[in-house]
Amino acid sequence: MSGSEPAGAAAAGGDAREQEPAVEAVDPAVAGRLDAPTRAVLEDAGWRRLHPVTPVLRAWKIVAAVLAFAVVQNGDELLRIDVEAWLLALLVLGGLLVLAVVGAVYSAIAWRRTRYRVDAEAVRVERGVLWRQQRSAQLDRLQAVDVVRPLLGRLFGLAELRLEVAGGSGSKVSLAYLREEEAQRVRNALLAAAAGLRLDDAGGGDLSAPEAPQRPVVHVPPGRLVAATLRSASTVLVVLAAVALVVGSVAARSTTPLVAALPGAVGAVSAVWQRFSRGFNFTVAHSPDGMRLTHGLLELRSQTLPPGRVQALRITQPLLWRRPGWWRVQVNVAGYAVGPGEAGQEATTVLPVGTEEELAQVLAIVLPALGASGPGPEAALALVHDGLTGRDEQGGYTPVPRSARWLDPVSWRRDGYRVTEHAFLARGGRLVRRLDVVPHARTQSLGIAQGPLQRRLGLASVALHSTSGPVKPRVEHLAAPVAARLLVEQAGRARAARAAAGPERWMSGDADG
Amino acid sequence: MDHADGGDGGAAAADAGTDGGTVTDAVTGATEPFDPPGVTWRRVSPRLVTSQRVTGTLWSAPVVVVLLVLAALLTWWIALGAAVVAALWAWAWWLTGRQVPAWGYAERDEDLLVRHGLLFRSLVVVPYGRLQYVDVEAGPVDRRFGLAKVQLHTASPDTDAAIPGLPPEEAARLRDRLAERGRARLAGL
Repeated sequence: MSGSEPAGAAAAGGDAREQEPAVEAVDPAVAGRLDAPTRAVLEDAGWRRLHPVTPVLRAWKIVAAVLAFAVVQNGDELLRIDVEAWLLALLVLGGLLVLAVVGAVYSAIAWRRTRYRVDAEAVRVERGVLWRQQRSAQLDRLQAVDVVRPLLGRLFGLAELRLEVAGGSGSKVSLAYLREEEAQRVRNALLAAAAGLRLDDAGGGDLSAPEAPQRPVVHVPPGRLVAATLRSASTVLVVLAAVALVVGSVAARSTTPLVAALPGAVGAVSAVWQRFSRGFNFTVAHSPDGMRLTHGLLELRSQTLPPGRVQALRITQPLLWRRPGWWRVQVNVAGYAVGPGEAGQEATTVLPVGTEEELAQVLAIVLPALGASGPGPEAALALVHDGLTGRDEQGGYTPVPRSARWLDPVSWRRDGYRVTEHAFLARGGRLVRRLDVVPHARTQSLGIAQGPLQRRLGLASVALHSTSGPVKPRVEHLAAPVAARLLVEQAGRARAARAAAGPERWMSGDADG
Repeated sequence: MDHADGGDGGAAAADAGTDGGTVTDAVTGATEPFDPPGVTWRRVSPRLVTSQRVTGTLWSAPVVVVLLVLAALLTWWIALGAAVVAALWAWAWWLTGRQVPAWGYAERDEDLLVRHGLLFRSLVVVPYGRLQYVDVEAGPVDRRFGLAKVQLHTASPDTDAAIPGLPPEEAARLRDRLAERGRARLAGL
């Protein structure tokens, strides 16, 4: 942030360049470890454009969406229209053509009016045809960087770059589409700039490294993913529903139920398919820029989570995964807007199905300071092991009192919490086992609640509030005095951890992740 | 169903005294979890009771009237609906009188405590450094009674911390004070 090199003095620019004074290029020392083209992204603080093929892809998307809508909604009426077949075909084709041209022209105008640039403080994007929008995303607030390559984009060698900056829903900055190398280059440049890594800090590392070196840690084999998908609750439900329908239809001697259930069936199967296709070829890698996840069957996705960006973590094990000993790991990352739908789940899963050893590897990357006896997978596994399978006081957990069995008859012996130097662990679930981990430094606020039945039994529930995501850490039915003490102590621990937390720019100081 | 403890809620409301005055906790006879040691709770204004009752009446009265007219015109069965709405209204009337005295907040050195509820109790601890922004809202009825609501927002959607029924001066004071303390202790996410 200390460098001062006016935009005009930077390298030769393209036609999109404009002379604007108050822009600082990223400190050259920061870019030192990058290769020349990546460094150019940072050193040239001028405006850049998206790839010229973008309008074509967008126009096609519009046409496809309208076509799909028309067919699904009005397919029957369309066939019943009383005109010659050739005329109908001509009308439909003509309509689509007009739509495509209009879409392409609009997209082309939109493309011309969209531009972005990276400077010392922020990524700035300007877009919009009628309503102009200028967005600037602060680099030190960068939470995650994703490179997404949809199926169609892959044909053209294009990719979308998505930046999360944790500003609630709709705070995402999307650059679609860039050439694949360009997208990766901008990503690496952004991460280097956001990390605040300076040449003199790097200890004379590999200056020509195209990106921070990454070390693959876990790869989920497709065979296991298939088996895990088949063993998931949604698959079981689909099969049960199908059996019930067939039996019902045979008994009623009618196909009406089958036809009626068709949309539901399509939805259910597509949900199962989505989960499979998302988790396909899932690879977790470790790099100084953070954790890198690559996955996808048709749409490829490469996510980068910088160190310290994970707000909370949940490990779960559905009932049918118990025998093979598989676990799923999900995280809360600020800005990964999580709706009830699939889109949220997609980004927040950091391990779709993994063994205990792989789980430990992932934990060691996500929360390096977690292990009680130091960093590394063994320490992390030793810490969480009792949380995954233990019950009562096993593993140093504080259990819930016996009176909790009236409110949680199935899993009250699993409910409990444990506090370590760096994190809070909440255990629960007997059929679907669950362990939530929240670093003390990431607690937003705390809550304690008590319903009328809980009061009669002398119980209370404590919740740790995390950013929006799949993890909602909560310990149900603790003894009331224990809950009261936990609330006070945890507030103190969070305060102390916050004061000692590392800098937002994870390489600019002695960040401990 | 367990009945809310004690009958002291209404009595305490009557003698709650001045707006937002500092009163040590005698309102709910709270058990330990909702009464951390050394905390002096501030109450919300007792005018909130009237304000909420007026709001409830403004919503339910037209519904009752419409249902009664329909009952007269069509069939008397519809009057049952009116009776249900009236019963809900009476219940809310009674409940408000008990719930409002249970609201409390306390500013500590590092965090703000907000407490509410009698049957379903809840206490939220919001560290100043975690505050993202603070809203002050007032609806038409609340404005009429000189009340405002302060809503605290952190980066978590689960932080359910709102203080209704504050006099506008107190709400403004609290907002500015929170902003000031938040700036001093601002932390990253």
